[in-house]
Amino acid sequence: MERENHKETLLHLLSGHGGPGFEEAVASKVRTAFSEYTSEIRTDTLGNVIATVHGFGGKSAPSIMLSAHMDEIALVVTKIEAGGFLRVAQSGGFDPRTLVGQEVVVHSRETLRGVIGSKPPHLTSPEERKKAAPLEDLYIDVAMAEERVRSLVRVGDRVTLHRETMELLNHRVSGKALDNRTSIAIILETLKYLQGLKHQADVIAVASVQEEVGMRGAATAAYGVNPDIAIAIDVTFADMPGQDPDESFKLGAGPAVSFGPNIHPKVFRGLRDTADKNGIPYQLELSQGPTGTDGAAFQIARRGLATGVIGIAIRYMHCSVETGSYDDIVSCGRLLAHYIASITTEDVEGLSCY
Amino acid sequence: MKDLITQLAQAVAPSGSERQFQETLLSYVKDLADEVKIDRLGNGIARKHGDGPHIVLAAHADEQGVMVIDIDDHGFLRIIGIGEQTPSLLVGRSVRFTNDEIGVVGAEDDVKVQDLTLDHLYIDIGAATKEEAQKRVHIGLSGVVVEPVVSLTDHLLTGRALDNRVGCAIAIEAFREAAQKGLNVSVVFTAQNAVGARGAKTAAYQLEPDFAIVIDATPAGDTPEASRNDIQLGAGPAVKIMDSSTIVPIAVKDHLIESAERAGVQIQYEVWTKGRSDAGNIQLSVDGILVGGVSYPARYTGRTSTVVDLRDAKAALDLVLEAVRSFGQ
Amino acid sequence: MLLKTLTEAMGPSGFEDEIRNLIREEVSPHVAKMYTDVLGSLYCENTVQTGPRIMLDAHMDEVGLMIVHIEENGLLRFKPIGGIDPRVLVSKPVQIGTEKRFGVIGAKPIHLQSPDERTKPLGINQLYIDIGAKDKKDAEQVVKLGDVCVFATRYEELGDNCAKAKSFDDRVGCAILIETLKKQFQVPLVGAFTVQEEVGLRGATAAGYRVQPDIAIALEGTVCFDVVGAPSHGQSTVLGGGPALTVQDSQTIADRAFLEFMISVAEKHNIPYQLRRVKGGSNDFGAIHKTRDGVIGGGISVPVRYIHAPAQIISLEDYQNAILLTEAIVRAISEGGFTI
Repeated sequence: MERENHKETLLHLLSGHGGPGFEEAVASKVRTAFSEYTSEIRTDTLGNVIATVHGFGGKSAPSIMLSAHMDEIALVVTKIEAGGFLRVAQSGGFDPRTLVGQEVVVHSRETLRGVIGSKPPHLTSPEERKKAAPLEDLYIDVAMAEERVRSLVRVGDRVTLHRETMELLNHRVSGKALDNRTSIAIILETLKYLQGLKHQADVIAVASVQEEVGMRGAATAAYGVNPDIAIAIDVTFADMPGQDPDESFKLGAGPAVSFGPNIHPKVFRGLRDTADKNGIPYQLELSQGPTGTDGAAFQIARRGLATGVIGIAIRYMHCSVETGSYDDIVSCGRLLAHYIASITTEDVEGLSCY
Repeated sequence: MKDLITQLAQAVAPSGSERQFQETLLSYVKDLADEVKIDRLGNGIARKHGDGPHIVLAAHADEQGVMVIDIDDHGFLRIIGIGEQTPSLLVGRSVRFTNDEIGVVGAEDDVKVQDLTLDHLYIDIGAATKEEAQKRVHIGLSGVVVEPVVSLTDHLLTGRALDNRVGCAIAIEAFREAAQKGLNVSVVFTAQNAVGARGAKTAAYQLEPDFAIVIDATPAGDTPEASRNDIQLGAGPAVKIMDSSTIVPIAVKDHLIESAERAGVQIQYEVWTKGRSDAGNIQLSVDGILVGGVSYPARYTGRTSTVVDLRDAKAALDLVLEAVRSFGQ
Repeated sequence: MLLKTLTEAMGPSGFEDEIRNLIREEVSPHVAKMYTDVLGSLYCENTVQTGPRIMLDAHMDEVGLMIVHIEENGLLRFKPIGGIDPRVLVSKPVQIGTEKRFGVIGAKPIHLQSPDERTKPLGINQLYIDIGAKDKKDAEQVVKLGDVCVFATRYEELGDNCAKAKSFDDRVGCAILIETLKKQFQVPLVGAFTVQEEVGLRGATAAGYRVQPDIAIALEGTVCFDVVGAPSHGQSTVLGGGPALTVQDSQTIADRAFLEFMISVAEKHNIPYQLRRVKGGSNDFGAIHKTRDGVIGGGISVPVRYIHAPAQIISLEDYQNAILLTEAIVRAISEGGFTI
């Protein structure tokens, strides 16, 4: 087994709550984690945390942005019903079927715990059981009198999942928000590994916001940082019965490196060759258009950015029991560190040569 | 404010055809502005240099409509939508084009209401032949459904385009007061909101404000069997929490809530998950712009006629003014 | 023959290498400055400094397929790049990868299908490319995952001054732009051959930001359905009716002043034109006009029947008229005919 430098940090990050547009609690944990590697940390208008680790290249050094979104999918209160029950809407993409019976945290004037209600089997007809309730029909029960609910909760308050992280067999971790805090752990592992390597390039580590509602933080971070190479780190799908073979990756078999129109061919080849050269396992992920990651926004920021996308596979994406392997996080960190160490000014100049 | 709103709601300004209306809008503010212009996409912009952070007030000037896309041999017009149109709502209505020609919308026989698309509709302008029609209209000509503004009560107005002529009126008055106080403020009457907030995108890029407040309508949920939504007409302006284009930063939301308290304005909270506003494109311009939204409740948004409460509009103005005055303090 | 060379070249979105090299070769004797950007778009500029900066855009990419999985029996699974209706794929040949290896997309013989099956369109997941491989190992010798394919369609002239080929969308625009760049104009002119239009106007988004034009025109191949049974308002454009100008599409509402200017130029020079009469679809101008503080301009399109399908048809007269109109418009602008 390889060294797990930041597994504790990951568990700490997973315990944080932060959906699109209210990432601050997670952001402060991220800043603390980044400060181990640099004191040059800023937060932009949207809330992206941007940390710079300099290489030895000086003023003309290549700049490589590594970005991982720190927001998790969330719900938002739309109505307080009679009895103090809360109706909610999506802020990110939950499958409402996974929400029934789920424990949640309501971020109101006080932090409240609640449960998403379900009708007991004794009271449900066979007909009802065949149907999945839409999100509009679900409600959160905070087990409080209506008056007290109204004094504490406002329309617009956010709701996140409550789930304690569990460690499973084979260095696998399960819980909420592995999408995409595992990728922040990858950035940290990269920075750790990079300390033992010589690198010309400056690394700009970004924990981005609002990915789950459409890569919004990525758009402004890319515009503001304007790096030579922008690499989005995000999770992808691990294999499950019934999934297409090209959308099923193995847990523990190394990160998935993306290839397709969204990816600069030289960035892809660089990542692939780095993995081959250093004996790091990886898997090939294909896309036929903009990926569903921050990389979609990076590629068309300003005059266009050379974009790469990489990440680990997890099972049960957007559930409260997302499961991934820490081994993959370590492999991905090593791969990115070696890739960054290989990049020179000449490589950057070549990115516009077709 | 009622007169101003009523006057503004007369204008026919479907997305992409705002220029003439922009002249009118700018005429209300240009005496106090250092610069006014209508930009390439049709935004009307007035800028007043002054003290403090640069604050932009944004209200879309356009409305949804229809566009002539074909003229048949018998002089009937075929149309496409400008923005999202519900075809069944157009049938039997009068349409006024930007050149003041009038027509009536008909539907092909034997099409069930639920199957109706814009392809089944046509506009009858009373022309007998294609040639006759071509003298009065052309392909690419835009129009809107005719629906005059009427007072339902002392406070309630109904009519076409109140969404967002109410917002334009609030923005005009807020800009005038702020400019007279010597503040650093711009007003943008944005173009092409109904087709995807296109004007807001290019306006934000050129103005790069420190803070932008978007003034727009939000649907009220206080009608019979309405979908779950806590917004009520007459219960005050809504501070935008989120819509499908934006999540307002917590700090901005708090600033607006505190401004409301200081101004003595009762507020509501807007979570409109299907709604699209100018806020998103402003927020994501350059490396990010602080954006907030003050919305007035409106019944039947997206339909041919909406209902608004003038007290909400007045309170929204008070809230915007206090938010502008106290920003950054 | 320029149209033949361009339409038979390979270049699905993100994989424009072959078509880009061909265009570069074709225009390099005629332009002062040429460069590519980080996405792969090709820019050609003249040296004129004064006057409005004009950007003419044509996208190089075409719709295509990507090999995503190889079955044990050697058949290839694929996914579309850009918008392809799976119903046009059955019983068509494709060419795969830089070696342009042939493959065919077959289907279960009609004899073996139930009456019910015959009425249902086949989805992408039910279709495979057969390259003649005996098994997976055999296929892996010549095909890699991520290889891309295009329709194997020859360019041929047919009918009344018409032509048939794949990828008239937008190689016809590329051809118009190449012919225009061969001429000299006294106005700053940037020809942008963009990438990745078919997957969301992506090349043009970066190109508009980079070029910062005063006026931009997208040169396109556009929807034409003037066929049996289509009512006038369902045709979009008419083959042979002249180049089509956009009034509204899914990304743009025409700037009225510029549209009227283009119409006046066409009328002055007796060049036939038509208005594109459909809301769906878009072109690169949709992205360009929203860059920075906004750009004035529009689109000139050649009607293409069966766009995005293996065999597309254009009128060569429309093509020639589009070249004439583009030149006339650029000249009129250079003579001060349009003020922004």
